[in-house]
Amino acid sequence: MPGFVIDARGIEKSFGTLKAVDGVSLQVKPGECFGILGPNGAGKTTTIKMLHGAVESDSGTLRVLGRDVATQSRLIRAQMGIVSQEDTLDRDLTVYENLWVYAGFFSIPKKASLTRIEYLLDFMQLREKWDSQIKTLSGGMKRRLHIARALIHEPKFLILDEPTTGLDPQARHLVWQRLRELKAQGLTILLTTHYMEEAAQMCDRIGIMDGGKFLVEGPPQTLVQEKVGDEVYELKGGASIEFLDSLQGLSVTTEIVADILYLYSRNGMGIMEHLISFGRKDFLRRPATLEDLFLKLTGRELRD
Amino acid sequence: MLFPQAPSHRAFRVWVRHLVYYRSFYLAEWAGNLGEHILWLVAFGYGLGRFVPNLDGISYAQFIGPGLMVSVAMWNATYESTYGAYSRMRIQNIYESMLMAPLTVGDIVLGDLLWCASRALIGSTLMLVVLSLFGLVGSWWAVAILPILFIEAVMFAALGLIATSLAHSFSFFNFYFSAIVMPMFFFAGTLFPIKGLPIWVERLSEALPLTHAVRISRGLFIYGHVENFIWHFSFLLGFTFLFLTVACVLVSRRMVE
Repeated sequence: MPGFVIDARGIEKSFGTLKAVDGVSLQVKPGECFGILGPNGAGKTTTIKMLHGAVESDSGTLRVLGRDVATQSRLIRAQMGIVSQEDTLDRDLTVYENLWVYAGFFSIPKKASLTRIEYLLDFMQLREKWDSQIKTLSGGMKRRLHIARALIHEPKFLILDEPTTGLDPQARHLVWQRLRELKAQGLTILLTTHYMEEAAQMCDRIGIMDGGKFLVEGPPQTLVQEKVGDEVYELKGGASIEFLDSLQGLSVTTEIVADILYLYSRNGMGIMEHLISFGRKDFLRRPATLEDLFLKLTGRELRD
Repeated sequence: MLFPQAPSHRAFRVWVRHLVYYRSFYLAEWAGNLGEHILWLVAFGYGLGRFVPNLDGISYAQFIGPGLMVSVAMWNATYESTYGAYSRMRIQNIYESMLMAPLTVGDIVLGDLLWCASRALIGSTLMLVVLSLFGLVGSWWAVAILPILFIEAVMFAALGLIATSLAHSFSFFNFYFSAIVMPMFFFAGTLFPIKGLPIWVERLSEALPLTHAVRISRGLFIYGHVENFIWHFSFLLGFTFLFLTVACVLVSRRMVE
């Protein structure tokens, strides 16, 4: 397919006086995996809902899979899979019936849908649960069923809003593994998550969102390198003025959070020696991560 | 596209969803329906009917028979489109999941209304079975009441869905039932003739959609023909389209922010 899977230009959405989405522009290419990160209330879910027409934009242009969302969202949804943040499984139906009924919404012929359901139940490791009621499933199983349901019509594009939030590590790893397989098969994916490292591994590009707009956007490693550096040294306990002054000559930026001093270094040369010469051995040296970037950009105050 | 949320043939898929769910409990529902119908007929038709003189040569049980069929359709359609639809729309997020598939609000609304009407029709059919077992059916034309009741049920389901789209909790339906459904039930000529009551009651009754369903049904049930059929039928059909359109618009507003 030529062009972009998502082509959003300056989309905005207000709820009363709250500007939930404030001029978002985003282009995602076919086969790409894009991750939206951001604290709660940043506008991630609203942005996602705009992509499938559940929330209408106030201004800007939004095209998905080459079509205008404002007028053709039904046709877009025919080629797109959506895993919403909240549970929207049909609790009146069994696992199998959930998939079968949903296949009907896409007008998939009966025989094709049966084959597809078998495949998806295996793919998501739900084969033994096919006849179970939804309320008997664990959180991880429900999420896997959600993903299976979103894949029922072999979509070209998959949207997942916090697919791993609230799952135990085993369930989370299975979900990420399956998503990587789908990506390898060429599926275009857009997701939101709070798990930075998983996003960094999985996504070709990420965007960090706050206050309804993207603060930065790009490949995760490049962004971390540019905005944070290569390495981080964490020092516990206070730091004297002399020690802080002594860092001036080195290429580091510093941040003090409670009782921890963070040193963000760009080329790492001589920092270790400097710390040791000051008698500081109680430090942790680690590579800079997406989480460092995230906290740097969105601050450390709690969001609720 | 001029109306991006307009209904289409895909409403059938929504109807199928409800049918799949219905398969898990329909026998219990039928048994309950039959018991309830017999109870109504015996308590009112024969219990109360003993004290009621024949009306134009018709026994009271025969008089209320078609009235009961019409009210069963209304009550069933109303329950399913209020408590049932509210649960689907606001609690279980079933509408939301359908809107993540290639369905429009119109498809969902129409599918839901057709479902409510199907369930109501089953209830009314069981009532017709009970009435015929008691030997009350005067004409084979009584079977022709069923399609009329289907339209009537779509109309009341649409009205119920309008209430559902305005509701913010289940308690809103208490108001809807006491202010709309109960008066409709009593003043549409289901259990007693309206003729001879104060003139304003007669006029009010003429304006109620249920009255027209009762007229058609009673005519077919007892005599096999209906006076002013076109007028009553148009009245029903007109309100059905009106309520359907309003329901689509209001549910769209509720579902798309």
